[in-house]
Amino acid sequence: MALLLRSLARQGLSVTRAQSCVPYRHVVPMGTSAKEEMNRFWAKNTSLNRPVSPHVTIYRWSIPMMMSISHRGTGIALSTGVSLFAVGALVLPGDYAHCLELIQSLSLGTPIITGAKFVLAFPFAYHTFNGIRHLLWDVGKGFKIPEVYRSGYAVLLLSLLSSAALAAL
Amino acid sequence: MSECACALKCFRVNLVTLVVVRCIMATLVRISSICHKGVKPLFLRSSLLLRPVVAQKKVQDHVPLLTADIHASPSHYAVAGSKAASRHWTGERLLSVMLLGMLPTAYMFPGPIMDYSLAAALTLHGHWGLGQVVTDYVHGDFKVKVASGGLLALSAVTFAGLCYFNYHDVGICKAVAMLWSM
Repeated sequence: MALLLRSLARQGLSVTRAQSCVPYRHVVPMGTSAKEEMNRFWAKNTSLNRPVSPHVTIYRWSIPMMMSISHRGTGIALSTGVSLFAVGALVLPGDYAHCLELIQSLSLGTPIITGAKFVLAFPFAYHTFNGIRHLLWDVGKGFKIPEVYRSGYAVLLLSLLSSAALAAL
Repeated sequence: MSECACALKCFRVNLVTLVVVRCIMATLVRISSICHKGVKPLFLRSSLLLRPVVAQKKVQDHVPLLTADIHASPSHYAVAGSKAASRHWTGERLLSVMLLGMLPTAYMFPGPIMDYSLAAALTLHGHWGLGQVVTDYVHGDFKVKVASGGLLALSAVTFAGLCYFNYHDVGICKAVAMLWSM
């Protein structure tokens, strides 16, 4: 009984201490970094051959989720495009003008050319506008759920409009 | 007879006191788990509430256990570890802003300066972005090393190719203009 009251009193005293509510004098900094802990987690779980619980296959997809992975997807696609272009510049015979003439000689017709321009412009526009949205989050703006949805719709609308405008040029 | 009644009364009083004290303890536990932001009080859960009454000693055990999983705020201790990750994050955002600014600038002032600036910013932004993808999906020391090495090679080749294009061919700005005029 006395033991209980004493431990209670101790906790009570710690609670009223200035900074934190945890019994602070017992706290020590951890010796591992977040990266080390993450590596340990994966090492342990892969070595034990543990299965991963279903996550993206069972959780209901939302617009913010889809936009987030699309941001990553468009980023990877654009990077791949840039790299392919660079490797092509190093490896392919003939200069850039020559390559464009080759495409010109295919006589694809205006609708296909416009369509191709849209297909090129859209990932670029989406990644750019969603990137601005990310930067706004990084300075702490727009985290409320209605704001997340509103900014998401704005990004989608702007991307579509600007891609269409660029394709029409 | 009276001894029995007395003992029973004592027992009941003790029981009530213990229950009351348990409730107070539980409230304190709740307050402390809400108070401290960012701390996951893993052991300060309602399991304490479910614990059987005779549990005084367990409270003592939990206090040192609390310490094992708490990351103390740096203001109370010397900062352990480097700021490299934090600076990398800031660098990524600064580069993104710069790249954003380069888009209208390249449109308005095409030329070799913008060509090479775009080549550098584009490759670095892509390299850091793909680096995050590797961090997220590739696990295990060896695999991470292989993936990072491959990524570095790809980025190096990309930058080399873009610089070659800028030097020996029309350059990025003109190339986009030519493509769009088709």
